[in-house]
Amino acid sequence: MGLTGLEIFKQLPKTNTGDCGFPTCLAFAMALAAGKTSLEKCPHVSEEAKEALGAAAAPPIRLVKVGTGDTAVELGDETELFRHDKRFYHPTAIAVLISDTEDVAARVKDFGELEFDRVGLHFVTDMVALKNASGDAAKFKAAAEAVAAGTKRPMVLISEDVAAMEAAATAVAAGKPLLYAATGENYEAMTALAARLGCPLAVKGNGLADLSDLVEKVVKLGHKDLVLDSGSRDTSQVLADLTQIRRLAVKKRYRPFGYPAMAFTSKDDPFAEVVQAGVYLSKYAGLVVMKASKKEELLPLLSWRQNLFTDPQKPIQVEPKAVAVGEVTPDSPVYITTNFSLTYYIVEGEVESSKIPAWIVPVNTDGISVLTAWAAGKLTGEAINKALKKDDMESKVNHKTLVLPGYVAVLSGSTEEATGWKVMVGPREASGIPKFAKANFA
Amino acid sequence: MAFTPVKDKYRSKVGEVTLGATREQGGTRAYTITVGGEATLPFLHFEGEIPNRPVVALEVWDVAPADWNPCFEPFYGDVYNNPAAWAKKCVEEFGADLVVLRLRGADPDVKDASPEDCAKVVKDVLAAVGCPLVVLGCGKAEKDNQIMPAVAEAAAGENLLLGVAEQENYKSLTAACMVHKHNIIAQSPIDINICKQLNILITEMNLPPNRIVIDPTIAALGYGLEYGYSIMERARNGALGGDSMLAMPMIGNVGYEVWRVKEANASAAEYPGWGEQEARGILWEATTAMALLQAGMDIVVMRHPKAAGLIKQNIDELMVKTSYEG
Amino acid sequence: MKTPTVLFFPDNVAVQVEPGTSLLTAASMAGIELKSNCGGGGTCGRCLVRVKDGRIRNISAGKIAAKARQAGLLLACQALVEGNVVVEIPRDSRLDEHVVLLGEKEILAEQDEELSGDYPFHPLCRQVQLTVSEPTLTGNASDLSRLETALRRELDCGKIHISLPLLRSLAEVLRRGDWKVTVTVAQLDGCADIVRLEPGHASQKSLGLAVDIGTTTVVLYLVDLLTGITLGKKGTYNKQARYGDDVISRIIHATERKGGLQDLHQAVINTVNQLISELFAQSQVSGEDVHMVLVAGNTTMTHLFLGLTPKYIRLEPYIPLVSAAPPVRAAELGLSVNPTAFVACFPSVASYVGGDIVSGTLLTNMAKSEKVTLFIDIGTNGEMVLGNRDWLVAAACSAGPAFEGGGITFGMRAMKGAIERVQIDPETFEVTVSTIGNMKPMGICGSGLIDCLAKLHEAGVIDRAGKLQTDIDTPRMRKGDDGFEFVLVFGDLTECGKDIVLTGSDIKNLLRAKGAIYAGIRCLLRAVQLEQEAIEKVIIAGGFGNFINIRDAVNIGLLPDLPAGKYSFIGNSSVKGARLALLSQEAYREAQNLGNSMTYLELSAGNEFMDEFVSALFLPHTDLSLFPTVAAKK
Repeated sequence: MGLTGLEIFKQLPKTNTGDCGFPTCLAFAMALAAGKTSLEKCPHVSEEAKEALGAAAAPPIRLVKVGTGDTAVELGDETELFRHDKRFYHPTAIAVLISDTEDVAARVKDFGELEFDRVGLHFVTDMVALKNASGDAAKFKAAAEAVAAGTKRPMVLISEDVAAMEAAATAVAAGKPLLYAATGENYEAMTALAARLGCPLAVKGNGLADLSDLVEKVVKLGHKDLVLDSGSRDTSQVLADLTQIRRLAVKKRYRPFGYPAMAFTSKDDPFAEVVQAGVYLSKYAGLVVMKASKKEELLPLLSWRQNLFTDPQKPIQVEPKAVAVGEVTPDSPVYITTNFSLTYYIVEGEVESSKIPAWIVPVNTDGISVLTAWAAGKLTGEAINKALKKDDMESKVNHKTLVLPGYVAVLSGSTEEATGWKVMVGPREASGIPKFAKANFA
Repeated sequence: MAFTPVKDKYRSKVGEVTLGATREQGGTRAYTITVGGEATLPFLHFEGEIPNRPVVALEVWDVAPADWNPCFEPFYGDVYNNPAAWAKKCVEEFGADLVVLRLRGADPDVKDASPEDCAKVVKDVLAAVGCPLVVLGCGKAEKDNQIMPAVAEAAAGENLLLGVAEQENYKSLTAACMVHKHNIIAQSPIDINICKQLNILITEMNLPPNRIVIDPTIAALGYGLEYGYSIMERARNGALGGDSMLAMPMIGNVGYEVWRVKEANASAAEYPGWGEQEARGILWEATTAMALLQAGMDIVVMRHPKAAGLIKQNIDELMVKTSYEG
Repeated sequence: MKTPTVLFFPDNVAVQVEPGTSLLTAASMAGIELKSNCGGGGTCGRCLVRVKDGRIRNISAGKIAAKARQAGLLLACQALVEGNVVVEIPRDSRLDEHVVLLGEKEILAEQDEELSGDYPFHPLCRQVQLTVSEPTLTGNASDLSRLETALRRELDCGKIHISLPLLRSLAEVLRRGDWKVTVTVAQLDGCADIVRLEPGHASQKSLGLAVDIGTTTVVLYLVDLLTGITLGKKGTYNKQARYGDDVISRIIHATERKGGLQDLHQAVINTVNQLISELFAQSQVSGEDVHMVLVAGNTTMTHLFLGLTPKYIRLEPYIPLVSAAPPVRAAELGLSVNPTAFVACFPSVASYVGGDIVSGTLLTNMAKSEKVTLFIDIGTNGEMVLGNRDWLVAAACSAGPAFEGGGITFGMRAMKGAIERVQIDPETFEVTVSTIGNMKPMGICGSGLIDCLAKLHEAGVIDRAGKLQTDIDTPRMRKGDDGFEFVLVFGDLTECGKDIVLTGSDIKNLLRAKGAIYAGIRCLLRAVQLEQEAIEKVIIAGGFGNFINIRDAVNIGLLPDLPAGKYSFIGNSSVKGARLALLSQEAYREAQNLGNSMTYLELSAGNEFMDEFVSALFLPHTDLSLFPTVAAKK
């Protein structure tokens, strides 16, 4: 269990030297408890304290890297069960399953297309999972080489046959593929192979108890870059297993489960498969292997991944872009507010209920409210000017009058100066908008 | 070390809300539906009872929707102008557990339907289907305060779920639910605190907690779904942790939100990089619903019959019991 | 055996208790709270009662003052019930929930307090009468060296400084006094500064000023540094007010207007000088005698007082120009005191936790106590410090000036005519008010506003969200210019002839102010991962009234739901802390130290504060489990 800031503080020298970059020892301790800094930043900490705090500072889930270079994928190193408690850090990797009995080169070419641009972000499908369906080592090796030739993205090599794995993995070892999997039958040879090639290794159990034993055996053999598979394939059981692995690692610091976990979809219908993969992505899988390979199938899943792994500590923002409420005309009034979503939606609701169509221009204040933004110098005449210019409001309306939130009436002068628009001071509370609008614009 | 499963102990569980009333109970429904009652986080059967499965509702409008994507035409095109037939189709053909009737036509800017008109549509739909019914107003508070009491009165005894009550406008609907014995949807703007505050305000008017369903407001995938997801997750954790003012079942208007966004509607010609439209739209809706089910949603309001089918299947799979005993 | 009955007078309340129950417990069961700092341990000597009749058994006499014992009193916590008992409770033993601050009910009139016992009387200025050895042909050290030698014999000091004008006079002063000289020395940071030289051994005056520069008001204490006596007190509004009500407006004026910084600097200097001249006239002393000025103000006020730009305080990442400013001379600032007098400012912790809070923290003595103490200064901003002798965390939240009357239609500061108590009949909605000085009501001060919010909710005039219930049947609920409003006092009874009302937006402002303060407290607790119950002591400071009704403040969710006995109210802690430091070098040093050792929590980082804030915008709070006694009343 994690220590509290005060518990850590007790172990620190309490000299407030500031050498760690924090103004006080307590500030440092609180940052340490929140995982925002590391103990070695303190040059004065005693050996006893290091020992006492070391365990608390170790990450509950190991970071495992698959692949190399820019396309490498990092799995694990999560600290939370719920994103609202802090955040999730390493987005679930999605691997598309290809069989060595297929036209591998063609499939890999299609895989290369599974990248998307949405809302200014670029989403990628992370990996190819190559399955040794043929049971033939040479074929597996050739297929692995074909994948490596077709994409720089990392591979999961799927075979429980050590000889086949050795043939394929040795051929593409430079790309650091994930070897799937060490099982109760093959773990000694498979672990030796992974260790020799320096590749991460998946460990496949037959249920969680078996998985736990197996991980301990593999770790004893000296390999630690592991990815866990409980072996379950039914949606409900996989959800339960993934939850147990995460809980044991985070809440109990249970070392055998202190590794990222993976899951395989079992559905044949691609739609059902996407929904199933979504469950695993939501609840703790570090890697999901699936068959679906069409754009319309992967885009929703990757979009959810993007949403889920955002930082919830950031205030909820709306896009700082002018919005027309109702059937606007060139005569419609222009309201200024900020892009803090709560503020924005309250204003939008009131403008709507005023029944007088209008433009709302949310100024980009990094998602903070009107008064706070003013206090922090983020809502200024210049910022309002920028917003008006960006949305080209001058071409949208035939007047140059804007409504400023009543709380920042003090900005009237500087706003008129910066924008050249005339300022009307609106009500302080959004609830005054309907009355204000009726009096001025009806 | 040996593996011992972690089973969290919760102080409390989610309250149950029953929708609909059969003839014996004073209504005309063929069956009732109970939601809520979970004693654990979503689908973690190994540590607590989940007595009621989440249910899937399909959305019916009282007026023909002007701007729905053409991909709905093959499903609903023939019944767009007949809410009763539409509802019947949802239940009988598409397997909806219940129907959500949205009184869009009451909007002064749409048809300005009168309270009597609205009450009549509700009666017609009730006559056409045997499932419990959810009725939503047009979304404009002033008008809803006129139509919803009329609806509540006309359907007295049917134990409807009526929506929505908001922090600025909860009294009239709460009173209507009290008098005519219906359940209420308490809607808050993606804010767990306001969600709680509204529940306190409603219960202080003496509507019992087991007649409230929370609508924490959700956004579509890609449009802030994660906020609604986290609010639901927090609310559910709060409920299990003993907070009675969060211990209500939750509803999410998935179809309504999803089919407003570009990603569900844009053609492949417009966005070749995004793949085929209808499949994308269906999965956009199903993915949104899937995520919220993982956060604790109990009533999923959907639009596309295929998306609804996927989600029903997903719920079936997730309701398979798990255990770490023996 | 029958269960004994305990009857309490003058309340005339009876309770049945098991034999062996203490009278303290019995009183509590009867709903009568007695003072008890030691928690029934028999050591604080405060739960004094008189047994009129019946059988009790005394565990021990406990620590009880001889006078009290002679008066027939005993400690309730040590007296166990054996049979039926009749007990009288003296007024002084009752735990009154209204902690009264002031004797006189006037603005800024403060109660005198004992110098905090933990610091020795060791003023920043001392006067020593020296006899300097006469020079001879062999003992030919310079005049200054011989003065220094004599001084070191008297004082434990490091370097000794003397200003050029004094040095110029030294030779003659020594000789005129026939080698007897009276030296006034200021001691800051271990150095000794000679600030005055007089021939002979006549005692001179040496005065100090303790100054609190608030955003809204400025308060001065004139202190005799040789005796420790406070000679006079004076307060007035900060003349900067015309440049804006809050620190942000002032910063904007200072940074964006030409000459703005100078405007603000001069305004505050003028304010202080005006107070100085009034105070001197009143106390009949001369500015020449003032050798030390200690200033406690928030970070922005300190900057403006010294004429430093506060520009970067407002901008991310919110860095002040200086946190511990070096002492300067009065002449450099144009203060009308001895030009060589030292002017030292309390160090600040961060941009929004300033020297005023350091001064208050010093006064509370919390940094020397084992007890986890929460110190809250409810001013134009809400600032708070939590901790004990091992650790201190501080934060500021923009509560707004509502509790000082700002932003409230009929809000005012705690002055004569301000409504401070309110009663509302839940049946008829009739309102009874009482005002400071029993005058015709003019407005409502902070104490009255706290009361109002609590009583409006109790009477059902507002719901838990603070929304006016417009359907209640009373002419007091009506539609005004600014939406619905509730009339507290009709015009025929008010000073100005206007109806005193509370509008919907007034109530929203109050909710925000109280929500911000409570949210700040929650964030502090969360930062150190402590529960509210871990707070052993709460000290409230601020100028919102003559008293704070703790019960009401808890009922509205402004203050944490803790036993009233944990609370105390100390008024203007900033100026009192400054006075303390004037009179004790140890306290002054401790203040310097406090500035460095407090850990500042930036509430604007992350959305935790926002979340806590929204959950506190409710009466008392969204999470009723945080307010068990309020929830229990329902």
